[in-house]
Amino acid sequence: MPSTNGNIENEGYWKIVHIPDKLPIPPHLQPTVNVYASIINPKHANTLIRKLNKISLLEDLHHVKRICKRCVEGNVQLLMILCLASHDSGQLEDMPSEIAELIESYQLSTFITKVSKYPATSKEDWEEQCKLWPTSYHPPTYNIDGITGFSEENSQSILEFMKSAVDLAKSVDGQIVNAAVIVNPTSNQVVARSCDQWAEQQSQASCFRHPFHHAAMVAIENSAARDRYLFPASEPVGDNCCQADFVDSPLTVSPSKRQKINTNVEDSGIQNGETSACGSTPARPYLCTGYDIYLVWEPCIMCAMALVHQRIKRIFYAFPNPNAGALGKVMLSLQLLELIKTKCKFNRRDALQIISHL
Amino acid sequence: METCEIEDITNTDTCMKLAIEQAEHALNNLEVPVGCVIIEDEKVIAAGRNRTNETRNATRHAEMEAIDILLDQWQRNGLSNADIAQRFSKCTLYVTCEPCIMCAAALSILGIKEVYYGCANDKFGGCGSILALHTSESVGATRDEVLHGRGFKCTGGIMASEAVSLFRSFYEQGNPNAPKPHRPPAQSS
Repeated sequence: MPSTNGNIENEGYWKIVHIPDKLPIPPHLQPTVNVYASIINPKHANTLIRKLNKISLLEDLHHVKRICKRCVEGNVQLLMILCLASHDSGQLEDMPSEIAELIESYQLSTFITKVSKYPATSKEDWEEQCKLWPTSYHPPTYNIDGITGFSEENSQSILEFMKSAVDLAKSVDGQIVNAAVIVNPTSNQVVARSCDQWAEQQSQASCFRHPFHHAAMVAIENSAARDRYLFPASEPVGDNCCQADFVDSPLTVSPSKRQKINTNVEDSGIQNGETSACGSTPARPYLCTGYDIYLVWEPCIMCAMALVHQRIKRIFYAFPNPNAGALGKVMLSLQLLELIKTKCKFNRRDALQIISHL
Repeated sequence: METCEIEDITNTDTCMKLAIEQAEHALNNLEVPVGCVIIEDEKVIAAGRNRTNETRNATRHAEMEAIDILLDQWQRNGLSNADIAQRFSKCTLYVTCEPCIMCAAALSILGIKEVYYGCANDKFGGCGSILALHTSESVGATRDEVLHGRGFKCTGGIMASEAVSLFRSFYEQGNPNAPKPHRPPAQSS
């Protein structure tokens, strides 16, 4: 395990490094996989797609188009991917029986072809991929400041926040703990901070520790508690959404209360265009949308998913977790379904590591 | 949440019905309708339902709620971590929707014995849909957790259509807490 002492004393030794989830690869050397494909009769295209979607989902190849149109000597041909092929051998042994039946009944002549294994991350990659077989390409829908380099001012505050997280982790005597600091980067305001809580409790000679109270989980709860405290009742989220007043009696909502909630929703719905007057209080955030978190250690699988749920925008960590670092694993697996861009404003490039540079 | 003791729970559908009742309870409280129960020795020892909107904490899933009831209770009864691990290794969870990656990792850290779920979770499922953490041995943050974390037996599709129809009702009424441009509440006439 890397030592947390020494390196951090001198900030000059710290440097922000973007950890890509894979090594950069020249466009023409992108990895490929083999698939079985066939020329098909255009009249059968819809039927075949419907059938194939039931028996042969290309689960890790969502970026690959199922059908490809090719012009051969003035004639347009339709080609369709049937299923993955596991070997270069050209043997049909590894083909599922349902596919074999389909080939039989539609008189398909199959061949093996290569498609790109991963979604394109740049236009250059994508153009190269399409030479093999067409794929879809979704350029990032937003920019995150500083992916390719932070401004001097930003770097300074990022390092300050990371240092405060490291100090927090060191404040627990004799324990190797994780610490978390959630920050609103637009105001540089700390929203929540926390340590792994089991260590605190152990030092109080209690033998119980809550198995999920990792620093990130506790920080999320602290930020939620702050939200409940600052915006106790039916404050709208941001300025465009209504919310019911069900905070003051969370455990027992009687039918009559329920009735009232419904009325409230309708009432506030009517005034929806108006921002509620809350003086100098900032607009209520939706969970931690747009916030950053600083962690001393890379989050585990549970915490990584929790941070996505809570809409944290950027994760900074100082040390990779040698036991169960999972940020890349979780982000990458979610990225495959291309959900994160739309749902969580989160993509794999958000994970940044701040490492000591000696 | 009060826990009830019901004798002779042997049937998975009976248990899942109790989980669905919890999900309905969530729906009535304008929460994403997911509910669960935890069974030990054929008795319901805890129940939970989603509270993410109420708590403003998106990690307060049904599973987390039910587990926290037990942890709180067992801690007050003076059980050690080893005792608690021992108890969870005899527990079965029934949840209306496949546990998400976070909850599946949490269940693995706890070392729960078995999980039955209703519908699959295509977006965030941690028991096969996106990751298969129930088959994984290396879940947790510390070496200790990784050593003790374990896979669990997992069976899906129990009363899945009931679980899905609750989701449908929820999204038809709209999630009043989600900001635009997420599903706006249906226009009330």
